[in-house]
Amino acid sequence: MSTTKTSTMSMPQAAANPEVGSGTSTGTSPAGSGPGTATNAKPSDQRLFSLKKWNIVAMWSWDVECDTCAICRVQVMDACLRCQTENKQEECVVVWGDCNHSFHNCCMSLWVKQNNRCPLCQQEWMVQRIGK
Amino acid sequence: MITLSKKLKEDAARKSSGSNSKSPDLNNSTKRVSIRDRLLIKEVPEMTSSLPKTCKVHFPDVHKLHHSLLTISPEEGYWKDGKFIFELTLTEEYNIAPPKVRCKTKIWHPNISEEGQICLSLLREHSMDGTGWAPTRTLTDVVWGLNALFTDLLNFDDPLNIEAADHYLRDKRDFEVKVQRYVRNYAR
Repeated sequence: MSTTKTSTMSMPQAAANPEVGSGTSTGTSPAGSGPGTATNAKPSDQRLFSLKKWNIVAMWSWDVECDTCAICRVQVMDACLRCQTENKQEECVVVWGDCNHSFHNCCMSLWVKQNNRCPLCQQEWMVQRIGK
Repeated sequence: MITLSKKLKEDAARKSSGSNSKSPDLNNSTKRVSIRDRLLIKEVPEMTSSLPKTCKVHFPDVHKLHHSLLTISPEEGYWKDGKFIFELTLTEEYNIAPPKVRCKTKIWHPNISEEGQICLSLLREHSMDGTGWAPTRTLTDVVWGLNALFTDLLNFDDPLNIEAADHYLRDKRDFEVKVQRYVRNYAR
């Protein structure tokens, strides 16, 4: 591989050091062939240190405008207050309106009976999507 | 909060000791109530910690957060020096349904009837514009709204007590005299 020498300092290469736990290397290296070449090109005993273990931690969150249900004030990714109390966590889904505001479907279905408008923007409520 | 933990303990005790035949209904009713109560666990401390300085809140029964008495003592304006007591009752349908509020103190006011009915847009259950009740509103909004009936939201143009509004438009001085007489007689 012609680029091996110039790119040894870049992150993926450094992360996929030949000494990275031999059994898990395929799982941790995004570009499988690159590090493999590096292993063959440089004997491991020339390295100053070797990485024995590599733990990856990931975080995620919803990329939506409002992540808390404005009706029951529980996060939309969790079950609503009602479903939590009635032990129906699995059935609790999220509803998005045309206005892009989201609520728990159960919370919103109670509210639209009274007033068919989004409680946040007062637009007429039209369901865009229901799901998790 | 203390009141909730006590309530939960009581419920648990009732469940374990209570007669088995009755327990399913009992559970259902306590569960339905608890939606409102669970909202209030958050809303009540928020409300009491951000009260206007003219307001005081009292809970006649600390186990019933859905029933409170709000005392408003306006520092300025026509109703200055009066103490007006409002009774707030939150039904089990809260926060889909707005709180029910009555003024317990007889008052001469364009937006409050002598019987205690209140005309405040955010307490309106079915409102087609954006000013009515919405579940996004909280007790804090209600308290500030009621307090504003003595200041910003005082409205002579869309009155509930038409006689009082006409009185003001006819003779402001005499309106003020009557307001103060009501304050002396009923709101001290």
